[in-house]
Amino acid sequence: MTKKKIYSLDKNYSADIFFKRPDKYKEIEIVSSKFDNIITMGSCNSYTPASFRKNALSIQLTKFNRIIEFDKNQKLITVEAGIILSDLFNFTLARGLWVPQIPGYPTITIGGAVASNSHGKSCGFHGTIKKQIKRIKIFHKLHGWLNLSNEENRDIFDLTIGGLGLTGSIVEVQLRLEELSGNNFVTKIIETDSSNDAVKKINFDVKKETYCYSWNRSDSFKNFGKGFVFQNELNVSSDNKLTKNIKLNNSDINKNFIINFWNKYSVFFAQSIYQNYFKFFKSKQHEESFQKAIFPFIGKEFYFKLFGKKGFLESQIIVPFDKTEVFIDEVETIFKKHEPLITLYSLKNFKGDQKNLRFENDGICFTFDFVKNSKNLFFMNELDKICEKYHLTPSIIKDSRLKLETIEKCYKDFNRFKEEINKFDNKRIYKSTLTDKLMI
Amino acid sequence: MSNLIIGASSGLGREIAYEFARNSKNLILISRNLKDLEILKSDLEIKFKIEVNVFQLDFSNLNEVSKFILDNTKVLEKIEGVLFPIGMMKENDNVKNSNDDLISIFSANFYSINFFISHILNIFEEKKGGFIVGFGSISGAIGREINVSYSSAKRALENYFESLIISNLKNHIKVQFYILGYLDTNLSFGKKLLLPKGSPVNLAKIVYKNLNKKGVKKFFPFWWIFIDMAIKILPFSITKKIIKFFN
Repeated sequence: MTKKKIYSLDKNYSADIFFKRPDKYKEIEIVSSKFDNIITMGSCNSYTPASFRKNALSIQLTKFNRIIEFDKNQKLITVEAGIILSDLFNFTLARGLWVPQIPGYPTITIGGAVASNSHGKSCGFHGTIKKQIKRIKIFHKLHGWLNLSNEENRDIFDLTIGGLGLTGSIVEVQLRLEELSGNNFVTKIIETDSSNDAVKKINFDVKKETYCYSWNRSDSFKNFGKGFVFQNELNVSSDNKLTKNIKLNNSDINKNFIINFWNKYSVFFAQSIYQNYFKFFKSKQHEESFQKAIFPFIGKEFYFKLFGKKGFLESQIIVPFDKTEVFIDEVETIFKKHEPLITLYSLKNFKGDQKNLRFENDGICFTFDFVKNSKNLFFMNELDKICEKYHLTPSIIKDSRLKLETIEKCYKDFNRFKEEINKFDNKRIYKSTLTDKLMI
Repeated sequence: MSNLIIGASSGLGREIAYEFARNSKNLILISRNLKDLEILKSDLEIKFKIEVNVFQLDFSNLNEVSKFILDNTKVLEKIEGVLFPIGMMKENDNVKNSNDDLISIFSANFYSINFFISHILNIFEEKKGGFIVGFGSISGAIGREINVSYSSAKRALENYFESLIISNLKNHIKVQFYILGYLDTNLSFGKKLLLPKGSPVNLAKIVYKNLNKKGVKKFFPFWWIFIDMAIKILPFSITKKIIKFFN
């Protein structure tokens, strides 16, 4: 068995693990039988250590990447969980279908998206991927092969979606596909002068199928919140049919430069250039390819590399609509006081019911990327206090630093989820460094 | 017409199946693992709109192979060519193997292939055409401490394919044989190896491209030819000393 040192994408966790990449169904059973602690791995693109644990077996399922069934009339597709989003979409988009609730990087696997209950830019309209999942097949060392759906093993089905891989290896997933009515997107750029202004402009019409997010400055208190709202709408009238194929960049998102290039000068410089480019040089309404609108990080992998070997931290928080003003007020207060180094500040709409450990709720999702240093860690701890105070929803799958105490206070189902998992897997075979931290 | 791939469910066999499918070739896939074959069949048929038939067959059991040939004469009569990206290794394959292990290793890596080709040759001779592609291993270049029977069988297979190439120089049957070094399959996944691994996707492309060539014998990745030459040039007394030094 191969041993390997592996890192989370944010570089805050690493571990020596046993690693296996089976390519036959029988092999999943054989390798699982040899270990007491197992976790399943997709493309290992998770910010947090969700797919590995020290001395445990990580089963990488990237060879399980095939299409098992496709019914165009019923808009159903059954795939193996290791299929990456770009491969899935290069098949479905050619047939005018897709899954809208997908994360922003195309090498993420469907299994990973299910285990983390992923969302996309249109989560204010489409919600999370949970809505599209009809059936899942898992392999569990104690329970064997299990079919999960609303009709079969419903409780385990519910625990598996956004369940961080704790119910076993997700091997097959049946998805409901949605029609994609246009060939590309029309992007409108709307200027914002503050965070509150961005919230208003993002939350303009949640009933409309719009892929909406903001980019806000975070380099100084004076500029905090200034920026743009990007509204991507499907361009039904466009004749351009060549825009749907997703081409992967060869850049390895997991490899960083040795040193960190982000400091207050480089953040100021980069954000000024970005803002002025969109303000003065980019048309306020332009056509964008599917790839650029849905996977904006393709070709921009260097952003992660610039954090260097020490990595970065990301905080993602859903704030209910009625609490956004007070949240922004609190954040601005601590920002003024601690002057953290935030490289990315972005907002988007969110829709859903918070259950189990799923990152879901109705509200606005705030995203902050930080350079890893003590000042920023202190600022993030202050953010935790705000989350606890207002019962907000911080993302477990994005913020590897998030404390158990905060999660317990913000996730009302946390203890029930833990009990259910312990009941299903009483030997607690499926674990990761992330779930160790959560003491599940 | 279909193309028969034996050992198609994983590794190189799977990549060859995709390369043929990309070129709109109908396929017959054989492997021990029916579940994997059925999934592969679905994926190929959905993506490439080709016809795929699958059969579960264990090449380490010569009787099973013999029965398959008898039961499927009509299927075999319609094939355009046959590829054998097949190999079976066992743990603890050393100089003291059990009879059962010897039989299964030699059947999967040599006897069954030889036996199958003997039948296919009759069909191809009658049709005045067809291709046969075999895959050896660099492990067959010299004796070793581990995978002893496997490497011996691969050495025998190389010899057999050389004979096959020579015997078919004057007819329309095209024979290819590839001697494989390290390949990037799940067998070598995560292992630290002395030399880089070859891509099975690239090898599948090469195999397809060479289908119309007669009597191909190649190393993949190509640099293994130099290692093979070095092993063959050096007297065994020196090779023995080098091995002893590194051990």
